[in-house]
This record gives sequence, C-alpha cells and structure tokens, in this order.
Amino acid sequence: MKQRYGEGLVFAAVLLVGLAIAGFGTGYQAQTLFQMVMMVLLAVGWNVISGFTGYVSFGQVAFFGFGAFAAAVAILNLDVPWYVAMGIAGAAAALVALPLGLIMLRLSGIFFALGMFGLARIFQLTASSIDITGGPMGTTVPGAESPNLTAIVAIGITAVAVAITYAVSRSRLGLTLMATRDDPVAAQAAGVDIWKAKVIAFCISAAFAAVAGALYVWNVGYLDPSSAFAGTIELQSVLMVLAGGIGTVWGPVIGGVLVSLLSTFLWASFPMEQQIVLGVLTMAIAVFAPTGLMGALRQRGWIRRAPIWGPPLAASASPVTTTAVPRDAGGAPVLTCRKLSVRFGGVKAVTEVDLDVRAGEMLAIIGPNGAGKSSLFNLMSNFHRPTGGQVLLDGQPILGIAPFRLARCGIARTFQTSRLFRSMSVWETVLVAAASVAPDRHEAVRATTEILDRIGLLDRWDDPPDLLPPGRQRLLEIGRALALKPRVLLLDEAMAGMTLQEIERVHDALRAAIARGTAVVAIEHVLPAIAPLAARVQVLDFGRTIAEGIPREVLRDPIVVEAYMGAEYDA
Amino acid sequence: MLTTVATLVILGLIWGGVYLLMAEGLNLIYGVMKVVNLAHGDFIVFGGLLALTLFETFGVSPAVSFPIAGLLIFAFGALVQFGVIERIGLGRPDAELRTLLATFGLSYVVANTSFLLWGSQFQSIPFLQGSIQLGTIAIPEALLMCSAIAFAIAIVVHIWLTHTMLGKSVRAVAQSGLGAASCGLDIVWLRILAFALGSAMAGSAGALLIALIPFQTASGSELTVQAFTLIALGGLGNYGGAFLAAELLGLVEVFTQYLYGSNAASALIYLVFIGVLVCRPRGLLGRVGRV
Repeated sequence: MKQRYGEGLVFAAVLLVGLAIAGFGTGYQAQTLFQMVMMVLLAVGWNVISGFTGYVSFGQVAFFGFGAFAAAVAILNLDVPWYVAMGIAGAAAALVALPLGLIMLRLSGIFFALGMFGLARIFQLTASSIDITGGPMGTTVPGAESPNLTAIVAIGITAVAVAITYAVSRSRLGLTLMATRDDPVAAQAAGVDIWKAKVIAFCISAAFAAVAGALYVWNVGYLDPSSAFAGTIELQSVLMVLAGGIGTVWGPVIGGVLVSLLSTFLWASFPMEQQIVLGVLTMAIAVFAPTGLMGALRQRGWIRRAPIWGPPLAASASPVTTTAVPRDAGGAPVLTCRKLSVRFGGVKAVTEVDLDVRAGEMLAIIGPNGAGKSSLFNLMSNFHRPTGGQVLLDGQPILGIAPFRLARCGIARTFQTSRLFRSMSVWETVLVAAASVAPDRHEAVRATTEILDRIGLLDRWDDPPDLLPPGRQRLLEIGRALALKPRVLLLDEAMAGMTLQEIERVHDALRAAIARGTAVVAIEHVLPAIAPLAARVQVLDFGRTIAEGIPREVLRDPIVVEAYMGAEYDA
Repeated sequence: MLTTVATLVILGLIWGGVYLLMAEGLNLIYGVMKVVNLAHGDFIVFGGLLALTLFETFGVSPAVSFPIAGLLIFAFGALVQFGVIERIGLGRPDAELRTLLATFGLSYVVANTSFLLWGSQFQSIPFLQGSIQLGTIAIPEALLMCSAIAFAIAIVVHIWLTHTMLGKSVRAVAQSGLGAASCGLDIVWLRILAFALGSAMAGSAGALLIALIPFQTASGSELTVQAFTLIALGGLGNYGGAFLAAELLGLVEVFTQYLYGSNAASALIYLVFIGVLVCRPRGLLGRVGRV
C-alpha cells in the first residue's frame, strides 16, 4: 500500500515539474518537453500491446500515422478545432483496430511483428494517395499557436494515458492479459477469454498511438507520409519501453524520458548517426538486460509489483464453506462421451470411447504410454475437435463451445506438463480462474483465499510459482482448476512427481470437491495414487477402452496386465 | 496481348531466381536457429552497395563481385551470431522476443551505416544493357545472367546441405540442437556457420539485385519483409516451398507492376504477406518443413 502511494506521489511531482516547464519555460524548452511527452505516450501505447499482451509489434507507427492523418483530414475537411480532431483520431483508430485486431492477432511472434510492419507500409502507401493531405508531398495543417500550449496538452493527455494503463494493470483485464501473455492455452483453461483481452488491448494501444499522432501534427503544423510513418519513431518507442522495462506501468514512462533526452542530445550533436546509437542500445538491452530498468530494480528487490487484488482475506473472514451434497452415484451422468474418436493424420489416437461420470464420483483412467489418455482430455475440454462421436455435458453436446467458455460452464482441467503463469504470483494464478467465474471482486478474493487455504499454499500466496517445489506447483494447478468451481474436474497425471505428503494434500482437496458434488476424471500412470478415491476405473490401450470396473478387479484383468506388461508376462 | 502475357510470365519466372536467393539465406537461418534476422534486407542492401563501390572504383561487374560481397557479409554475419545471438541463449522462453528486438536494432545499425557510407539516393549498377530476343519476346540479359547466378548459388547451397557431412551437420542442428550436440557436434560453431552462410547469401543477392533494380539504404526493411513473405509462403524452413513461392511472387510482382504500377506492387507484397499468414500459417505446401 505504501509503495502505491509512493508511485502516485512521484508521478504527481514529475507532472507538476513538467507542467511548470510547459507553462513558464521558453519556447525551446516547451518544444523539447513536448517531443519527450509525445514519445512517452507512444511508448505507453506500444507497451499495452507488446508488453502487457506479449504481441510485439513493429508497426505501431501505423496507428501513429493513422492518427496524424485522421486529425489532419478532420481539421482540413470538417474544420473542427484541434481537440475534436484528436478525439476523432483516437476513436477512429480504436474503431479501425477492432477488425484489424481480429485479423492480426491470429498471428503471433515474428508473424505478428512483421505483419504489423507490413500494415504500417500499407497505411503509408494509402496515406500517400489521399489528395486532401497533398499526396506523397504532404501539406500544411493549421497548428497550435504556442509550443507552451501543446506541451501542456500533451502532458495532460499522457498523464491520462498512464493513469488508464495503471488502472488496466490492476484490473481484471490486466490479470487476464498477463495470463494470456504467459500461456494462452492455460489461460483459456482458466476461463479467460483471450480474444476479448487481446483485442481490447490492441484497440487501447492503437488509440494512444493515434492521439500521439494527432498531437504531432497539431504541434508541427505540417504533415507528410514519410515523416508520419518514419521508422525512427518505431525504433524509439521500442527502445523506450525496453530501456524502462517491458510489461510494466512505469517502465515506458521512465524509459521514455531517458531515451528522449538521449535522442534530443543526438539530434543536436550526431544527427546522422542517431539510428546507429539507438540501434546499438536496443541490441545491448535485448541481449544483456531484457527486463530493462524496472526489471533490474525488481531483481535487486528494491521494488516489486503489488499483487493484484491482494492480500488474501484474514483466515477468519473466509469460513470454508463445505455444503455437502449427498453422493448421487445413481443419477444421470454429468459428462458423457459417446463413441468419441479422433485421428491425427493416419494415427487413430482415440477410437470410439464411451465414458460416463456422475456428480460426486471419481473415475480413474489408466493406460500405458500413448494409449490416448491426454487426447481424450483434449477432446473433453474442446482443445481438440473430435473426428467422430460427441461429448455431452448435462446431455448437451459441447461441440463448438470455446474452451474458455467451457471452463466457465464447469469443465476444468489440468495439463500433463505443468503450465503455470511465469510472471504471476501464486495468488494471481488462482485469482485469474476465480475471477472468471466470480460475479465481483470480493467474491473472487474470497474464493481464492479459500482455495489457497485448502491446498495449503496460503502462506506462500505472494511467491512466484517457480519458487515452489514441483509437487506444490502441480497442487497450484489443481487449485487453479478448482477455483472455476467445476462440475467436472479433469486431472491429467496431476500426482506425478509428488511426495506422499503432497499426495495426501491432493486427496484431501479432491475428497472435499467430490463431497460437494464435483465429478472427477483422473488420468494416472500409477493406479495406487488415486485408487483410494476412485469409484471406477477405465483402462485405455491404443485409443480403445479395454476394460472398466472397480479398481481391484480391473487390475487383475489379464487383458490389462497384458497391455502393461506384454503378452508373455504371466500374472 | 499474348506476347505481353508470355513476356510477363517468362520475366516473372526469371525474377523468381533472384527472389529465391534473397529468401534462401533467411530460410537457412530460420531453419537452424528458429529466429528471423530482421536485418536480412539491410544485409542485402549493404551487399548491393558494396558491389556498387567495387564497380565504381575498380570497374568490377556484379557477376564477378558477388562472391566478394558475399564473403564480407559472411564475416559480418559470423560476428553477429557470435557476439549477439549466441549471447541471448536460444531455447529460453524469451529468446524469440529478444532475438527479434536485437535484430530489429541491428537492422537500424546496418541501414544507418550504409547511409553514412553511400548516402540515401537510389543507386544501381549499369550491367549488360542488351536483351535477348526469343521470337517476339525480349529478355534483358542482365536479368537472365543474375537469375542464373542466383539459381546456381541456391542449388549449390542446397546440394551442400543435403550431400556433404558439414551440410548434414547443419541440418542436424536445425532438427534438434540437443540431439546434434549429443552426437558430438559443435553446435555453437555450426550455428555461427549457418548464420554467416545465410548472411552471405543475402550479400550476394544484393550484389545481383542492384544490377537489376535501383535501391536505396532505406529499402532494407522492405526487402526483409519480401524475403520473409517468401519463406512464410513456402512454409518456414521448407526449400521446395520457398522455390515455389519465389516463382509465384516473381509472377505476381511482374504482373502487378505492369498492370497497376510499382506502388501497387509494393503494397501487394504486404497484402499477400498478411493474407498468407492469416489463411495458411503453415505455408503453401501445408506442412512445417525442415532444412
């Protein structure tokens, strides 16, 4: 709490100094300040998509140029005052970014980065063919009367942008963006609508860049395509964010100020060699200090990111609510698979598997390596599409329901190999799932506290997951799945690599879940790990069910023994 | 009409050779390292302008100077791999992002250096000005010559990769670095070799390209996207696919340029690029290739 006040105070002080220079400084000072603040705004925008969301873009200048041209067209054509033109530029960019985001965000990594670069070039070529802005040669646009005014406006807008980023980073959206960046698949399994999160971030980022572009054209009073879409702008915004710390709120602001100062100095002394210096700096930071200044400070433990919506409630405030639902083993199955099949190319991974699981019971699925167990889970959670048969939840086919929605509707899963969110704390890992089903913040915090208490990780709530021993990490993944309040819980070799004590923990948590009516389907290699809880066991081999029944009998079945040991082995 | 179409088809197919060489170097680097060198286009430009200087000072034609340009960029590429990319530590979760950002910075460094050495104007080498008549179809000699050299280099490199011990070692690293290392291969050295060779191909391609079309120091990023479009179209790391894509792009480019002008042709590259990535993220041949 103290640190968050500190952040705000420092920022307010900087703002005041900036406003004082902007208001009372000379024209040159105000102009230099304007340049700096405009670039900070651009950096803040780039950070929203590339830092928070992890989609590194080399075409953010597309929206900068777009905003500049939109504002110029609005001023020249509609004869609106500058502040309306800025509003139009920002809104138009967000609007254009919506369909573009739906297309571009299907790409990832290098594809997205270069795709955005291409988009910037397409925008530039299009802008060159607009007559009202003078085609490729450019045009003059009625600009601001005094540099002091532009500096004050730029500071005001950038302060709002920083405040918005701060609010986003502390919100449900910020939480889902982090999860999406760290592991999109696990994020969906935790009930996160990654598309919504990504596209919103893309639109915010585009709007910030466009407003920066509008500020730019208003300030210089001149506009031409090659300066509005200049690569140096792109390089500078990337470097500013990298230097300050990518994915942080304050990184782009600090980096922006530093790099702008450097850039002003370079313009004055080495105008020709500017890009070499900035380029070498970018390389050096990418190689030696990829987390930037903020990362370096965090590593030394001088600052840290305050946990979102933390800390947990005091233990007394969250009574463990175990509303025992009577076992209902005779009722209708919650989850059913009918002749479920999938093939990958020529490989039949799962062939006509039938499966039923009822509320309040555990079904164990065992089978040798490559028996199709994990494929079956991917089908049941809609991460794969079956080539035959269907999966029913409460008698309704789940085909076509997005995995994140399915997770919210009650099918939660864990993964065979640990998929935790690298940059989130234990608390946030569970919170992200709890928040996707909870009606409000209070309920999400309460549910997360309760889950962490139940799996025995409450005392380590603020640790990063990779500080936990492997068994505890698996436990955390189970906690994340339980936070969805699932009706069906799919556990994929959840207990592999656990100590006996940890297995006890899992058993306790599962018993509680089963008692409350959750249906559990657990894949295990080793039956004893779950035998005490499993009411029934189903054995898969080569994608087919070869046996099912109560654990004790199935294990003696010669077919099962043969599947595991080979035909010669005589039990 | 028919003659025009025939001319355009032939020109397009010949252009494909130059495109292939431009893309093949990037393909090799991607295949082995799973990283994209964003300075690739700037290497091409640098190689081209180097050939220009050789032409202006010693009167050496690009057909002779391309190995020199290639060799120089080879050394530079080795330095980049050793000094920058190896330092990032491939295989770590943030390696792709960091390599992208590092080579993004590198691209500006190389472009700015070219600018300091050669200025910003469009430049070209006058080379074999005549043309060969094929019935009514005229094919510029320079294009034919450069394309033939480009094809030859691409084929030689391909044979080297598939038929020599060293080439096979490079491919082994491409398929599994860990596997290659456990077979006793010096994978750091092989990665440096692969990056240097890929860079050298870019340099040679530049020396040939500048004899065909004028370009400026700022053309680098455009060429990077063009080269990347090709290998994305062909399926990253897939050689047959890259060849097909190069021919296709040559045709598309020549036709668009003829019908709609050069502005449309350069916009089209980006549209094709985004279109391919969105619709066929695995490339034309529909499978993830190998080196």
